[in-house]
Amino acid sequence: MDFRVGRGLRPCLSFLASSVVLALGAREAQAQGGTVSAAQIIALVATKTSQLSVTVTSGAVQSIPSLTDNAVNSFPAPVVITTGWDVNPGQTNTVNLLAYFTTPAQALTGGSTQIPSSRVLGQVTTGLPVAFTAITQNAVGGVGTAGGSLRLFSQPITGPNKKSSRTDNLNLQINLVGFPTLAPRTYSGTLNIRAVTQ
Amino acid sequence: MQRPLNRALAAAALALALASTAQAQVGLTSNTATVTLNATKLSTLTVSPTTATTSIASITDNSLANQFADVGLTTAWNLTAGTSVNLIGWFTTPASALANGAAVIPSSKVEGGINNAGWTAFTGGAVGGVGVAGGSLQLFNQAVAAVNYLGSRTDQLNLRLNLVGFPTTSAGTYTGTLNVQAVVQ
Repeated sequence: MDFRVGRGLRPCLSFLASSVVLALGAREAQAQGGTVSAAQIIALVATKTSQLSVTVTSGAVQSIPSLTDNAVNSFPAPVVITTGWDVNPGQTNTVNLLAYFTTPAQALTGGSTQIPSSRVLGQVTTGLPVAFTAITQNAVGGVGTAGGSLRLFSQPITGPNKKSSRTDNLNLQINLVGFPTLAPRTYSGTLNIRAVTQ
Repeated sequence: MQRPLNRALAAAALALALASTAQAQVGLTSNTATVTLNATKLSTLTVSPTTATTSIASITDNSLANQFADVGLTTAWNLTAGTSVNLIGWFTTPASALANGAAVIPSSKVEGGINNAGWTAFTGGAVGGVGVAGGSLQLFNQAVAAVNYLGSRTDQLNLRLNLVGFPTTSAGTYTGTLNVQAVVQ
């Protein structure tokens, strides 16, 4: 058989072929229109970092110009401390403020003479040690040192005060009653103030 | 089949993220603020008499037998330097150590000593700026060094009026003030 096509038939065949292709394409498109992919879940996590800060607004340097042996010696002015926080009340019960000496046996030193933290007393009338109390407590929540710390306050956290601050006055004394007579000189030390949530 | 798996994975990731956030908030600590403590112990030097007044009930003219009751004196020191602690007794106005109106007894007629070691008139000069010329008496000179920069001593101050050769005194009460002061040299 001779399948050769005359020149007059070629345009007709081309049109037919195009129509078939279009028809097939339309069927395929109709089949894909009802297909849905699997839903993908994207977890969104945005963290607001909790804030906890301690600022000594005044009294960062405390001085007793003349110590008296065998007596209670008061520092003349209080240490004014502002504690600020912005925490999640669902995960924070309390904000605690600690005062502590790094080395309790040497709270203040002068030459080879040491005044231990048991001789340094703190008082916060708006906090926990409402009476003068020796700085001999233990760490709280990992803040402080064993035998050289004093918890100044424990502030309960609820919804209304999840973001707040408070200002307290820390009064300090050196109790030399019964302590050996000190040699004349200046005795110096550093009291750390730090807050921790629990 | 794939949907539940994806959801489970996503939920697990979310739970993990929240758990780590919760963990971060427990035991949250602040910065550490510091307070500097300075306490200065000054050098001290004190004299403490056991009594503020000592008396002679009845003066005997032209006699040495005019002794006051002894006065205990405790001298205490806590020093960082110096080689001696000196105790000085002195009258502000030597010419009138004691007076009874216009009648006076000069410091040259007042004698002192410590611990019954002898009598000396209050006619010496000042020591280390303490005392007055012609009206002072150095009661002791205590050597000090690092080994005894903290120390004290208690002495008995003996006092008398030496009226031998002195004009007859007027009847009445003669009063005066003896200053006792220590100085480090």
